[in-house]
Amino acid sequence: MISQILFVGLLASGIVLFARRVKQIRTNILLGKDLDRTDHPVVRWKTMFKVALGQIKMVKRPVSGILHIIVYAGFIIVNIEMLEIVLDGILGTHRLFAPVGTLYSLLIGSFEVIALLVILACATFLVRRNVVRMKRFHSKEMTAWPKTDANIILVTEILLMSAFIFMNAADMLLQDIDPAHYASTGTFPISSVVQPLLLGFSENGLVLIERGLWWFHIVGVMAFLVYVTYSKHFHILLAFPNTYYSNLENRGKLPVMPAVLNEVKTMLDPNADPYADSGTGDEDDENFGANDVRDLTWKQLMDGYACTECGRCTSVCPVNMTGKVLSPRKILMDTRDRLEEVGKNIRSNNGEFVDDKKSLLYTYITEEELWGCTTCVACVEACPVLIDPLSTIIDLRRYLVLSEGKPHSQAAESLEKTMNTGNPWGYSQSERTKWATDAGLDLPLMSEKKEADVLYWVGCAGSYDPRNQQVSKAMIKILEAAEVDYAVLGTEESCTGDSARRLGEEYLFETMTLQNIETFKKYKFNKIVAPCPHCFHTIGNEYTDFEVNYKVQHHSQFIGELVDSGKLNLKKYYDNKVTYHDPCYLGRHNNEYDASRNIINGVLKNDKLIEMKQNRKNSFCCGAGGGNMWYDLEGGDRINYVRFQEAIDTGADVVATACSFCTFMMDDAMKVKGKEDTMQVLDIAEMVATAL
Amino acid sequence: MKIGVLVKQVAGSESPLRIDSEAKWVDESAVDFSINESDSYALEEALQIIERSGGDGEVVVVSMGPAGRTPKVIREALAKGGHRAIHIQEEAPYETDPFMIASIFAEALKDEQFDLILSGLQSDDLSSGQTGVILGELLGMSTATLVMGVEVQDGNLRAKRELESGWFQWVTLPFPACITIQSGLNQPRYPSLKGIMGAKKKEIKPVSKADLVDDLKPLQDYSNMYLFKAEKSTEMIEGSADEVVDKLADIFKNKIKAL
Repeated sequence: MISQILFVGLLASGIVLFARRVKQIRTNILLGKDLDRTDHPVVRWKTMFKVALGQIKMVKRPVSGILHIIVYAGFIIVNIEMLEIVLDGILGTHRLFAPVGTLYSLLIGSFEVIALLVILACATFLVRRNVVRMKRFHSKEMTAWPKTDANIILVTEILLMSAFIFMNAADMLLQDIDPAHYASTGTFPISSVVQPLLLGFSENGLVLIERGLWWFHIVGVMAFLVYVTYSKHFHILLAFPNTYYSNLENRGKLPVMPAVLNEVKTMLDPNADPYADSGTGDEDDENFGANDVRDLTWKQLMDGYACTECGRCTSVCPVNMTGKVLSPRKILMDTRDRLEEVGKNIRSNNGEFVDDKKSLLYTYITEEELWGCTTCVACVEACPVLIDPLSTIIDLRRYLVLSEGKPHSQAAESLEKTMNTGNPWGYSQSERTKWATDAGLDLPLMSEKKEADVLYWVGCAGSYDPRNQQVSKAMIKILEAAEVDYAVLGTEESCTGDSARRLGEEYLFETMTLQNIETFKKYKFNKIVAPCPHCFHTIGNEYTDFEVNYKVQHHSQFIGELVDSGKLNLKKYYDNKVTYHDPCYLGRHNNEYDASRNIINGVLKNDKLIEMKQNRKNSFCCGAGGGNMWYDLEGGDRINYVRFQEAIDTGADVVATACSFCTFMMDDAMKVKGKEDTMQVLDIAEMVATAL
Repeated sequence: MKIGVLVKQVAGSESPLRIDSEAKWVDESAVDFSINESDSYALEEALQIIERSGGDGEVVVVSMGPAGRTPKVIREALAKGGHRAIHIQEEAPYETDPFMIASIFAEALKDEQFDLILSGLQSDDLSSGQTGVILGELLGMSTATLVMGVEVQDGNLRAKRELESGWFQWVTLPFPACITIQSGLNQPRYPSLKGIMGAKKKEIKPVSKADLVDDLKPLQDYSNMYLFKAEKSTEMIEGSADEVVDKLADIFKNKIKAL
């Protein structure tokens, strides 16, 4: 009877502590700003089942993925046995379900097999962390507590599973000694193997072992239940809501800031009096972007708790891999740690936050970390529970730029140039088509034609950067050869605002956006074709938030269509060895991996293109995205040099790509690596133009 | 401290420059305008002087230019932290004589009683480098040019002037002072959106140039503006030493018109 009371007390306190802590975490998460993620419930349920339950993202790395599924499934299945333990504990019975007979033996027997697998998997995990010392478990944020936390969990799981097996072993021995009390269960596969270890014990000894392990098991499980809520291991629960509420939109598509949009609209209003006092008076109180955790959305805060510090994000981050300070995992861990601190502050001050002179930005996350990000979304792609470190990074950048006027000092110049001249290079808007006139090309202008099937979006790089001007010329050759009804905007075109937006300069981005949309509205066209994935992504996926919806194609898709429809006949021209560098904004952002590859294979004489080690979804950034084109990062290796070395290692003599930034960065790396005489960097349009 | 900062809107460095039909000025239709480079350093220095003194004081942005485009630079300066602005409105043809320009500024600013006036070392379009100094003289202020650093010490202004070949000179000036700032002495800030929004409620006082110049006449004017043509020609001068000297003198006198 006493043991029953003890048991119920234990069970109840475990559950109460767990519930209290869960409520605390929920309150913390709800400190975040509102965000509606209730749309498309069917898609959301499916995503949750696939990603959280089905763990499809885990198995992208098969070894840890499969081991993880064993631990995860094993842990859940074995805990079905908890049902019996709980009932036995409350009712004072022993093995309540044993009378079921063969099915019972079969079930417990299979649980034992699973328990053994869990033990083996956890042991492997321990070895990977502590003996093999895999790199992703040993970065600077993984010292002290995070490291101990992981080991505690693994050891506890091993102990709990062992307790279960040895308890059964002792039980089986007792069945022979005292069949009246110990109902026969048949022979279990694993415990019968370890049974010889217990043969020396007396009956009392065995009873003690069996009872001891039974209690250890239930106490352990209860302790674990509470511990989990304070640990990274809480992901076992939060993976579910986190995947359910994950971003369903295009990855890397950033949200509009309504307050900024209002401001831009006022600024662009042609009727506004430049001398008028149009301030509302409350500007000083308003903050833009995120300085601290409460400026983030609840989903971004949930991301922090859902993170289990596996480090897959950091291990694929090009900035981290080349030795710089950014670690996406640390961004999540910092968010969680700061949120815990803020939550504690509020709880101990009667529901009011008392300023502690700390903030997520500066105290936890430095500017240097934030400016490192190239927005390549490799981290977003890698996360097994659909955490989005990028969105937090961008919100912190937005605060730096919009609230404090502190963009990266070198980037500030390109932003001012974009504002003043409509392109980040700072060249004159009136010379936007000089590349064409210099080449003797007479470009059809929208301002003259008014209407065309294709609006060819040249882009700032294609207009002003000498290397990319070659791509523009190639595209014109292709458009002419295929007799496409096209026109360009000429001096009416200006930067899409891509770099500005990734740099957190939402005001500039939305200014450029509204101006470009005004220009688009003047003309009739069926689609926009852009040779740069950044323009393609921005106009195609982000301008849609500004009440327009244009069909936008990347030039690889467009050229592919021309070839397929027979409007463009390509010769098998190249006998080079060609490798292809996937641009992040085409691949990971927009899932377009094949269009360029098909085109390249179409112009190669013999071989198929050679893949680099990191390709397609796992492609490695060129280092220019996210505004990084406009400033240099301190420390480590240059991302483009590292990537180009990978291209060299394939033995290719042509590095093909399909992005203005990538072309520029690869070309630069080729020169620095001294490969100008033996290798070439080519945009797919250049390859096609040559193969006409 | 009350500081006036002169900022000028000029053609951006990458703008294509074409001469207008009257050969008096550049054709503005193809020009992208931006703040004069050294003026943006002057503005930053003014803001930092106020910040260093604990935020006590006022930075007044002063600009002369057409009503159509100049407010953009003024708003930008206010967004970065200027407190209010005075806009001397002038329409083309613009004033190009530094003495006239300085006199107009002096007339517009005489009642402001600035402790300090900062301007860029020179404007990127005319590059006379005189407006700031003449203005200081007209307003009876002490002046220094080519300033690379300032500090306030014992009620005086200490200014670090840039000399040739990496040499610097520290000069001490009594207030009120008017100094011209060399580019590169600080890192001009980027306007935050908060600053941009805040700038909208800051005062820009329009003043008409015509009201400031009654009987002033410019001391100099542009008679003709043309694009520099690079020409190379070589003439071999032969003969005795006397003949060569005579021929050389003739060339300098009549051809190059240097004598």
